[in-house]
Amino acid sequence: MEFLRVEGLRKKFSQTEVLKGIDFNLQKGKILVIIGASGSGKTTLLRCLNFINLPDCGKIFLGGELLFDGSKKYTERELREKRLKFGLVFQSFNLFPQYTSLDNVRLAADLLIKERTMKNKTLRAELLAENRRRAEELLVAVGLGEKLSAYPSELSGGQQQRVAIARALAAEPDVLCFDEPTSALDPWLSDEVLKLIRSLVGRTMIVVTHEMEFARKVGDYVLFMENGEIVEEGLPDEIFSNPKNERTKAFLMRGGNVE
Amino acid sequence: MNVFIEVTLDLLQGFGTTVYIFAVTLALSLPLGLIIAFGAMSSFKPLRAVIKAIVWVVRGTPLMLQIIAIFYGPYLLFGISGFDRVPSVIVAFVVNYACYFSEIFRGGIEGVPAGQREAAQALGMTRTQAFTHVILLQVVKRVVPPMSNEIITLVKDTSLARIISVAEIIMSAQEYARAGLIWPIFYTGVFYLVFVGALTLLFNFIEKKLEYIKI
Repeated sequence: MEFLRVEGLRKKFSQTEVLKGIDFNLQKGKILVIIGASGSGKTTLLRCLNFINLPDCGKIFLGGELLFDGSKKYTERELREKRLKFGLVFQSFNLFPQYTSLDNVRLAADLLIKERTMKNKTLRAELLAENRRRAEELLVAVGLGEKLSAYPSELSGGQQQRVAIARALAAEPDVLCFDEPTSALDPWLSDEVLKLIRSLVGRTMIVVTHEMEFARKVGDYVLFMENGEIVEEGLPDEIFSNPKNERTKAFLMRGGNVE
Repeated sequence: MNVFIEVTLDLLQGFGTTVYIFAVTLALSLPLGLIIAFGAMSSFKPLRAVIKAIVWVVRGTPLMLQIIAIFYGPYLLFGISGFDRVPSVIVAFVVNYACYFSEIFRGGIEGVPAGQREAAQALGMTRTQAFTHVILLQVVKRVVPPMSNEIITLVKDTSLARIISVAEIIMSAQEYARAGLIWPIFYTGVFYLVFVGALTLLFNFIEKKLEYIKI
């Protein structure tokens, strides 16, 4: 059953059209991998799904319901509700430098709890304690149980990205997006992050990546983007072993690290 | 010895005015500076233009001239009496320093990488939450060094108040000079040095406290 459906998504920055009508759908619990050269619009697509940039037009359906319609105006409050449905892990981690790993992971949920339990102090304390436990569990799950009180600057790039993944998971998004999660990392640090992402199988995820081997092994479905369009899509084996489009072929040739 | 104590007490009284101008200016110009900074970054173009013009005028003319303009201006232009002496000085200082502070704040806010706000947003924080819980402390960390510079300048700029006869410490010392006693004018330097020394210690302490944030 389709879980996420994107229809005719377009985005323009001043005169440049970065997304020229993107359509795809994704089933629950599946991993969609998006490949393509830099500047092809992959990152903008993820930013549009997280409403960091607003699509100019197009529709996003989630769980069978219309979540976003580009022809409508939404208030900041409405957009915030929509943002909670998606999570985003950034290329440059973007951890908050003034907070420890644990606080990075629990901050957003803490704020949400405080907002929703204005009157009920006992409930608030309970929920905050529970959130703390959950944040600890998540950090243990990403292999950083020893680093709860470390600041981002005290962690390696790979560890920082794992904290960022735990932080994104803490918000319990319906769809978790990764924007080139390993491209700021050395190869040996990339591996620990890629391994972690593989271990999240079962969640609905969209991964933009340059790691072709990872894309092939982990992806359930692959989109190849160029110039703001989806040029080719299909199962990983089809795309990587037998690409039909000339542009896909050319891209994969240049990619080099396939097979 | 008696003269020394008398002069010290007298200068202390003048220094009280100095510290008063300093403290009130600081307390009012910091928040005003933040408001001006937000205005300068507003997406509403006319507001940005107005703020830019104000900052240009305030930073482009001597503070001494601004004090004179605020004290004598209302009478000369409209024949009405404006503020008293001390309030005039304070208004001039607050507006002047708020403009300088606003530029420091703007630099500090714009210096925080966009990714910080975006990450906060993606996690479902509201704009206000993102600012107060994620951005603000990073701004503080960035602005403390330039801010301490500006605040130390403010301590010494208070001596401009004597241009409209506000009896701050230098003016108190000048009374002695007029009567033939020169050394009190140099003695005022000690008061400034002690005060600035204490502020420097305070700023060092704050910087140390924020050292754990690596940006």
